Amino acid sequence: MTAPALATRRYGLGAGLAGAALNYFKYWMLAAAVLCFAVPLLIAQYAGIELSAWYYAVNAGKWFTAFVGGGFVFTLLPQMIAAGLTRRELAAAMGVFGVLWSLALGAVGLAGLFAERAYYGAFGWSQGIDATSGIAPIGSAADTAAFAAYLPLLFLAYFAAGTVIGVASYRWEHAGWLLLVPVLPVVFGLDVALYSTEPVGPGWIGFLGRFIDEWGRGPLAAAIVLATAVLAVAARRLLIDVPLRSKQA
Amino acid sequence: MFDDGSPIYRQIADQIKAEIMNGSLEPGGKVMSTNQYAAFYQINPATAQKAFRELVDEGVLYKQRGVGMFVAEDARDKLAADFRERFFERVLAPLVREARQAGIPLTDIIDYLKAQEGVLK
Amino acid sequence: MSLSVTLRDVSLRYGAEAALTGIDLDLEAGKIYGLLGRNGAGKTSLLSLVAAFRKPSTGRILVGGEPVWENASVVSRVALIREGGDFDDTETVKATIESGSIRPSFDTEYAYKLADRFELPLKKRVSALSRGKRSVLAAVCGLAARADLTMFDEVHLGMDAPTRDAFYKELLAEYLERPHTVVLSTHLIDEVANYLEEVVIVDRGRILQHADIEAFQGMGATLTGPAAAVDALGLDALAEQRLGGTKSITVASALDADTRERAAAAGIEIGPVGLQDLFIHLTDPNRNGA
Repeated sequence: MTAPALATRRYGLGAGLAGAALNYFKYWMLAAAVLCFAVPLLIAQYAGIELSAWYYAVNAGKWFTAFVGGGFVFTLLPQMIAAGLTRRELAAAMGVFGVLWSLALGAVGLAGLFAERAYYGAFGWSQGIDATSGIAPIGSAADTAAFAAYLPLLFLAYFAAGTVIGVASYRWEHAGWLLLVPVLPVVFGLDVALYSTEPVGPGWIGFLGRFIDEWGRGPLAAAIVLATAVLAVAARRLLIDVPLRSKQA
Repeated sequence: MFDDGSPIYRQIADQIKAEIMNGSLEPGGKVMSTNQYAAFYQINPATAQKAFRELVDEGVLYKQRGVGMFVAEDARDKLAADFRERFFERVLAPLVREARQAGIPLTDIIDYLKAQEGVLK
Repeated sequence: MSLSVTLRDVSLRYGAEAALTGIDLDLEAGKIYGLLGRNGAGKTSLLSLVAAFRKPSTGRILVGGEPVWENASVVSRVALIREGGDFDDTETVKATIESGSIRPSFDTEYAYKLADRFELPLKKRVSALSRGKRSVLAAVCGLAARADLTMFDEVHLGMDAPTRDAFYKELLAEYLERPHTVVLSTHLIDEVANYLEEVVIVDRGRILQHADIEAFQGMGATLTGPAAAVDALGLDALAEQRLGGTKSITVASALDADTRERAAAAGIEIGPVGLQDLFIHLTDPNRNGA
């Protein structure tokens, strides 16, 4: 019941959630790494390797991240408020969670790209992505680092997108998920534009990104920061006065 | 216990009084604490406290700050007079009323009581 | 430190429907309260507001003298346990108990002790628990929260009679050891009556009565006797029954000595009214006003 413990518990909760989520998904990541090692080896028997398998895993990780943000906040909201947490504390905890998770996944993404670079190099394969203008190799070690440097930001953008939809789904039981409609294309569009790549998902999303992929990575990164901030503010705004649903008798 | 409809604290007070009358609580003896009463009878401690307060007001118990509740030295004398009064009011008055309704002459009752006195002796 | 509760002119609307209207209520710190009301009377809404699960449409709610809404130093000391608990159903019982420690006052050791006593299967998932066990888990987490204001909303639902009895015993033991404010919302009034110090009756979104339990216990009476004699007393009856020439009425007010004497003289039997019966009569929808 000491005041200092109360003042900082939101950060402790956020860090704890990040730890728990990473721990929970560690085998998934391990499985992704194993697949990314095995699949190119298999394909190499029949065709040349030009694409980074790990980049697909990273894209899957972005989806996961959105589900983690949304799923956790949806589940935690009633549980934590019933346990005597304020909504603002939960919002702060989700913020810490999102940042730590995104940094951790960004680090995993970067480590994976470099490991894959060494692996592909040993076999003389090309590590590229499926870009708009054909297959584009990621490039030198410096290029790879620059490529991966945006990953934490992208993960955070997906996390914020998932969280805002999670909160909205709790708040508006039947209609909240409709926020997917404006949120998803924006985040996908920015992601796709940043790497001027073919989208993971339906083709029309790539179409969205193509209007802005001439901007260059600097302005696009700034746009992603802005979009993430807007999503985070929206999530917080929806969270801080949400009533707990009444229980069905 | 606790079923005759009167407030529970009064029932507890009555019970403590009965224990004093039948000697299981000695004058000067210590009474259980409100919390012990509450835990034993599964009642709210405030209810037990009300019973004690009433008994203190009547001079049956006295409080020693920080030590507990004790039975007053003259508690039994006080209660005896009280019991006598209540016996007439609660037992004999309805008896007379019912006897009258049933058409039983009071002299019959007096004869019966006299005979009982012989038996009890 | 127990917490008091103060509501001033509080109302709550769900869309067009008014759940609570013009609620003024003061609960003193450190007492056990019974919150009674029919289904849909507004008990759960009222508790949800006090625990800051919801925001009132109008009015002020203070807990421990401070506004409760989004106030971490207050809500961290308030526990509202809803029927079935607010749990992540995919978690195990053990993980659910462990997650209680987000509350500074939560006593994990005590929670495990209770879990053992109430035979909760620690390794089972919450979703796999029976309704009764789920209620027990909610009650265990509520007790172990060791909050300064603890409110149980129909937590007994699904518990069998021996379990309810053990729960009330544990609640009282915990209260005796560590005085705090408790609110029990229930339908099983006679079962909890002895544990209560004060009773609040909610009816149709308003506070109908709030008084000491003794006031309720002394409040009602049934009078049974010859119909003419009963009528001659001229009492305001909450309910009445007739069987041949005999009439039985229930009154809400305490009988004065004079009425008792007149009734006794007329051969009318006076009996007590249980809190449950009194409650049923007081909240009868066919009664006008209160």
